[in-house]
Amino acid sequence: MALFAPPPMYADPTMAADKQHAFNPYSENGGSILAIAGADFTVIAGDTRQSEGYSIQTRYARKVWQLTDRCVIATNGFAADGNNFVKRIKQRLEWYEHAHQKQMSIKAIARLTQTMLYGNRFFPYFAYVILGGIDEDGTGAVYSFDPIGSYEREACRAAGAAQSLIQPFLDNQIYFRNQTPAPGAEPFVPGRLPLSTVLGLVIDSFTSATEREIAVGDGLELYVVMKKGRTTDDLVGSDNLIKNMQVQELGALGEGGSERTFLVSLPLKRD
Amino acid sequence: MGSPMEYNGGSVVAMVGKDCVAIATDLRLGQQSIGVAYNFDKVVAVNDKLYYGLPGLATDVYSLREHLRFRVNMYRMKEEREITPKTFTHLVSSSLYEKRFGPWFIEPVVAGLPQPTELDPHPKPFISTMDTIGCITTPKDFAVAGTAADKLYGAAEGLWEPDLEPDDLFETISQTLLNAVDRDCLSGWGAIVHVITQDKVVTRRLRSRMD
Amino acid sequence: MGDCSFGITGKDFVILASDMNAGRGIIKMKSDENKIRALGPHLAMAYGGETGDTEQFTDYVERNMRLYHIRNHNALLPPAASAWIRRQLAQSLRSRKPYAVNLLLGGFDTTTSLPHLYWIDYLGTKADIPYAAHGFGMYVALSTMDKWWFEGMPKEKGVELLRKCINEVQSRIVVQFNFNCILIDADGVHQLDLSASDPIADLSRAPEKAEVEVPNPIIAAPA
Repeated sequence: MALFAPPPMYADPTMAADKQHAFNPYSENGGSILAIAGADFTVIAGDTRQSEGYSIQTRYARKVWQLTDRCVIATNGFAADGNNFVKRIKQRLEWYEHAHQKQMSIKAIARLTQTMLYGNRFFPYFAYVILGGIDEDGTGAVYSFDPIGSYEREACRAAGAAQSLIQPFLDNQIYFRNQTPAPGAEPFVPGRLPLSTVLGLVIDSFTSATEREIAVGDGLELYVVMKKGRTTDDLVGSDNLIKNMQVQELGALGEGGSERTFLVSLPLKRD
Repeated sequence: MGSPMEYNGGSVVAMVGKDCVAIATDLRLGQQSIGVAYNFDKVVAVNDKLYYGLPGLATDVYSLREHLRFRVNMYRMKEEREITPKTFTHLVSSSLYEKRFGPWFIEPVVAGLPQPTELDPHPKPFISTMDTIGCITTPKDFAVAGTAADKLYGAAEGLWEPDLEPDDLFETISQTLLNAVDRDCLSGWGAIVHVITQDKVVTRRLRSRMD
Repeated sequence: MGDCSFGITGKDFVILASDMNAGRGIIKMKSDENKIRALGPHLAMAYGGETGDTEQFTDYVERNMRLYHIRNHNALLPPAASAWIRRQLAQSLRSRKPYAVNLLLGGFDTTTSLPHLYWIDYLGTKADIPYAAHGFGMYVALSTMDKWWFEGMPKEKGVELLRKCINEVQSRIVVQFNFNCILIDADGVHQLDLSASDPIADLSRAPEKAEVEVPNPIIAAPA
C-alpha cells in the first residue's frame, strides 16, 4: 500500500526547517547588584542567589569581586559570562601590574572594561557590570556599564532583576529626586552621605527587593572600599553591627596604596 | 497592538496609615509612546470615606467607572446606606469576574475608611486590589497597580512604615508615586493624591516631571 | 491612520480641521472629501478610520443626536454627547465587528459659554483636552500645539496655530493633504476658508456665506 503512504518528511522542504534546533548560548541567572559612592568611600553590593527560571541553582554564588586595593567589580546577568569576564579582567590587571609596577586606577579599569566588552560587540558577554572604588583623588567612584560597553560615572546604580525596584528608591534617597530642601537650608548634594546612612540604604534596598522579587535573596555581600587614612570606626565599631552582620577586612593586594577594603556579609530571606 | 494593559499607561498606589488611608494616581493618558492628555484622573470617589483607582486600558477605565457608579447608586437606593469598602471591593470583584473570558483590562485599587458599627466599633483602615478578573488581595501596608507597578513596589517597600500620621502618609505616598513614575515611560505627567481621614479628605495635585 | 485631523479650543470657540483625502492603500481616489460632520446647532466632529465604518457611524451618531433634540427640544450638550459617542464605540469594541472610527468632537456649551474638545479613538478612549490631533497630526503637530497654544486664545490666534500645524504636516509628511475647517462658537457651526488671508474677518463680515448644513435645522416652536 505504499502508493497511499504519505510522502516522507524529508520530501517536504518546509518540514526540514522545523527539525533544526537553535542553540541558545545565553541564560539569565537572576540576582541584583548595587553600588553607591560616598565622599571618601564606595559601597558595592550584590545578593548571593543564583537562579535559572524558577529554580535556585545555588544560594551562594559571588557576584562581587575585589580587583585591586581600590576597585571592586560586580556583574549581573548570565553568571558564566560574568565570571569569565572577571577572570579575564583580572588577568589583564596582572599584566598591567607586571609591566608598570603599580595597580591600575579605577578610571583606567573602567576604560579597559569598555574595550573588553565592546571587543565582543557581535557575541557579547551578557553581563551588566558595575565598578566601584576610590578614584585618583580619593573620592568614591561608581562606573556602570551595559553588556556591550557603554559606560558612565555615577553616584549610584542598581542593576539586575531588582533594578526596577531599587533604582527609583535610590533616585529618591541618593539623588534626592522630588525632594526640596527647607527654605534657607543647605542644598542637597548627591554622593556626600555618611557611611552609616549608605549602609542602611543598601541593606534596606536588598531586603525590600528580596520581599518582592523572587530572583533576589539568600545572602548579601557588601564591599566597602575606603580612602587611605579614613577612619573605620563607623564600620567596625561594634555598635554599628546589625544582627547577623559580619565584617571582615580584606588584605591588601598590592603594595603602597593604603586604601582598605572590607567585606560585610549578612543573610537575606531564603524564600 | 501590544498588551492592552500597557496601551494607555498609568499607575495607582494606595497606602494604609494610622486611622487614615491614602490613594494616589498619575495623570497621563497616552497612545503607546505618544502622550495624549495630562488630566486623566484614574481615581474616583464613591463617597468621602471610600475612593478607588482604575489603572489599565483607558476605554475600560470609563466603562467600568460608569458601571460601578450605576451599581453603587442602586446599592444606595436599595439599602439606604453607604457601601462599605469591603462590600465595594466584592462588588468590583464580581463585576470583573462577570467578564471572565473577555475581561476589562483594569487592575483596580480600593482605599477606604470603614465606619464604626456596633459589631465593629474600631474598624481598621482598608485597602484592596484585584487582578483583571477580580481576584482580591487585601494588603496590610500598600497596594500598587499599573505600568509602574514594579517601581512602585520597590519605592513603597523602602519608604513605607506602619502607623503613619496623615501628613507623613501624604509625604510617603507622594514620594513613592513620583519617584516610581519618573522611571516609567508610560506613567507620570502630574499626579493627584487623596488622604482620607475620619473628619476630612485632603486632595492635592502634585507637580512632577513632564517627560 | 492615513487620516489627519486637528482640534483647537480658544476663549469662546473651537476649531476642527480634517484632511480631505479618500482612498484605499496607496491610491488616493478623492482629495475633496468632507470628513467633518455637524451633529447639532453647536456640535460637530472630525472623523477618520476605516472607510465605510466612518460614514455608517457618523450617520448613526448624527441621527441619534437629532432624535434626542426632537424628543427633548434641547440638543445634547458637548459633555453628554461625548459620553454617549464614547459609549457607542466602547460597546462596539467588544462586538463581532467593531467600528474602526477615530474622531475629534468639538462643541460649544451655550449654557456655560465654554468651548469643549474631546479626543476619542475607536477603542472608546476619551480625553477632554484643549487641543488635539489624530493620525499623522499626532506625530508632527502635537509639539507645535504644545508650544503655541495658550489659555483663552482669540479666534485669529486659533487659525494661526492651525496653519502652523497644517504647515508642519505638509512639510514633514510625504502624503499630500488638503484641509477642511470649521469653527463653532455661540452663533453655531461655520465653515472656515483656509485659503483666505483672514478667514475670521470674512466670517464676521458675511456669516451667511460660512453656513454649514446642520442636520434638520431647528423647527420654530408654534406661537
